[in-house]
Amino acid sequence: MYIYLPIAEQPIHALVVLGIGWLIGVIMGMVGIGGGFLLTPLMIFFGIPSPVAVASVANQIVAPSVSGVLSHWKSGNVDIKMGIILLLGGVLGSSIGVLIFNVLNNIGQLDLVIKFSYFLFLSAIGTLMFIESLRLIIRVRKGKVTRGKLHQHNWLHGLPFKTRFRKSKLYISVLLPLLIGVIVGILAALMGIGGGFIIVPAMIYLLGMPTSLVVGTSLFQIIFVASNTTILQASQNQTVDIVLAFLLLLGSVIGVQFGSRFSNLMKGEHLRFFLSIIILLVGFKLFSDLITIPKDIFSIIVLK
Amino acid sequence: MVIANENIVADLSENNVEISTTFSGAKILLFGAYDGKKDDDIIVIVSGPKGQVKVEKKSKKYGIWMISDSIIFNNVPKYYYIASNRKIINITNKKEIIKKGFDLNTLKLGNTEKKISLPEREIWRKALTRNMISQKFWKLDESSILLNKNTLFRKTLSLPSNVSTGLFNVIIMHYRKGLLISREESSIKISKSGISASIYNIAQEYSALYGIIAVVLAVFIGWFANMIFRRI
Repeated sequence: MYIYLPIAEQPIHALVVLGIGWLIGVIMGMVGIGGGFLLTPLMIFFGIPSPVAVASVANQIVAPSVSGVLSHWKSGNVDIKMGIILLLGGVLGSSIGVLIFNVLNNIGQLDLVIKFSYFLFLSAIGTLMFIESLRLIIRVRKGKVTRGKLHQHNWLHGLPFKTRFRKSKLYISVLLPLLIGVIVGILAALMGIGGGFIIVPAMIYLLGMPTSLVVGTSLFQIIFVASNTTILQASQNQTVDIVLAFLLLLGSVIGVQFGSRFSNLMKGEHLRFFLSIIILLVGFKLFSDLITIPKDIFSIIVLK
Repeated sequence: MVIANENIVADLSENNVEISTTFSGAKILLFGAYDGKKDDDIIVIVSGPKGQVKVEKKSKKYGIWMISDSIIFNNVPKYYYIASNRKIINITNKKEIIKKGFDLNTLKLGNTEKKISLPEREIWRKALTRNMISQKFWKLDESSILLNKNTLFRKTLSLPSNVSTGLFNVIIMHYRKGLLISREESSIKISKSGISASIYNIAQEYSALYGIIAVVLAVFIGWFANMIFRRI
């Protein structure tokens, strides 16, 4: 069944989009990080113009994040104070990001920047995840499971404006989560991601937050960053395809539920190992598209 | 049926095409009658609204293929379709082919936004033609019109799913020994309709509101999904 996308101005197979949304939702539910960074390149492979893919995926991320936060909220796994500081930075960052998006769109290099930053992030995250999960698999095989320190102290803990985060049992500078928020916000606007795959490791390794609070708190701030990005993209670039976003989010909110149930069937490190391979493959495909000679070095855009 | 004065008559199965939520291209039957003799020919042109088309050129910089130059052509038909009952080169002469727009490579286009030399324009022009054809905006469909007993003709016009909106002119021409002896014109109006049109219009005119609706919808579905699945 084909559905005509009013903003992307092309028909797309509705069941295929629902299925992709579902699959991304399953991954979210199993691994705990948002699927935006896989979804946007997938949409681009399906022929959705990059600006529309980025903006619509930002829109879809809101739904599974709301759904996820509500469950984490019930279990008391959200550090509101930390979340609010992260999201202040995030809103600022996503506004800067949309401005950069605009400039790049006007000079005609938006597509390149989106694809290139995807390649960089996917290969970095993919490699890290690959090494980490492989190590853990080997360690578990050998029967040695050691617990690391709660968190390490480094120069980042010497920054001014220190404040106490009771829930996370931290006494750190406000600037740190604020800066992380800004960076994630910029990336969210440019790449159509919630930033979970950046913010989760940043919260664990840079802030030293307890792992139990990390996913809920990151989802909490992603809701606001993704909403801000969606509204800004819609009002400035008119690139949010609500029909595409609707199909994707419908699939993903269902998928998340399946994913969180499936996650008991498989070990976390095995799951992350498979995911890291998928991520590396997507990154490699994007990269090979950038370096191989195009079929036609000329291309056209029919203007309005 | 008797047609006097060698007039050609034609009709379309549809004059209005609506791009609704389920649109995935349209098929329109063009049919009619002409007072023909043996070896007469029929050529049909469908041309869409004109607008700007940007041609971009990629080149390799720092090992990556990126857009290095672009040219905007004015007055380019966003859709152009030529159909005939046999090879057009066998129907009429070169001069007529260019004059009447039966050749995609020599279609009249507007000037470019940026001033460029004639040989340069030729390179960009060729790239434009090639890409308009590969993206199905332009098409040459020779030997596709069915003629019957030198009286009736029929052709199914297929509009692609990426078709632009606006008024499309359909010109039907009757040739005898290379000369145009009769012509008829009709038109197809293509417009967005239903939800699809409303969404597009709201996105353009009330863009901030549209963004807010998009977010509210996502929040609602996220909340709703949580409600439902908590109970299962």
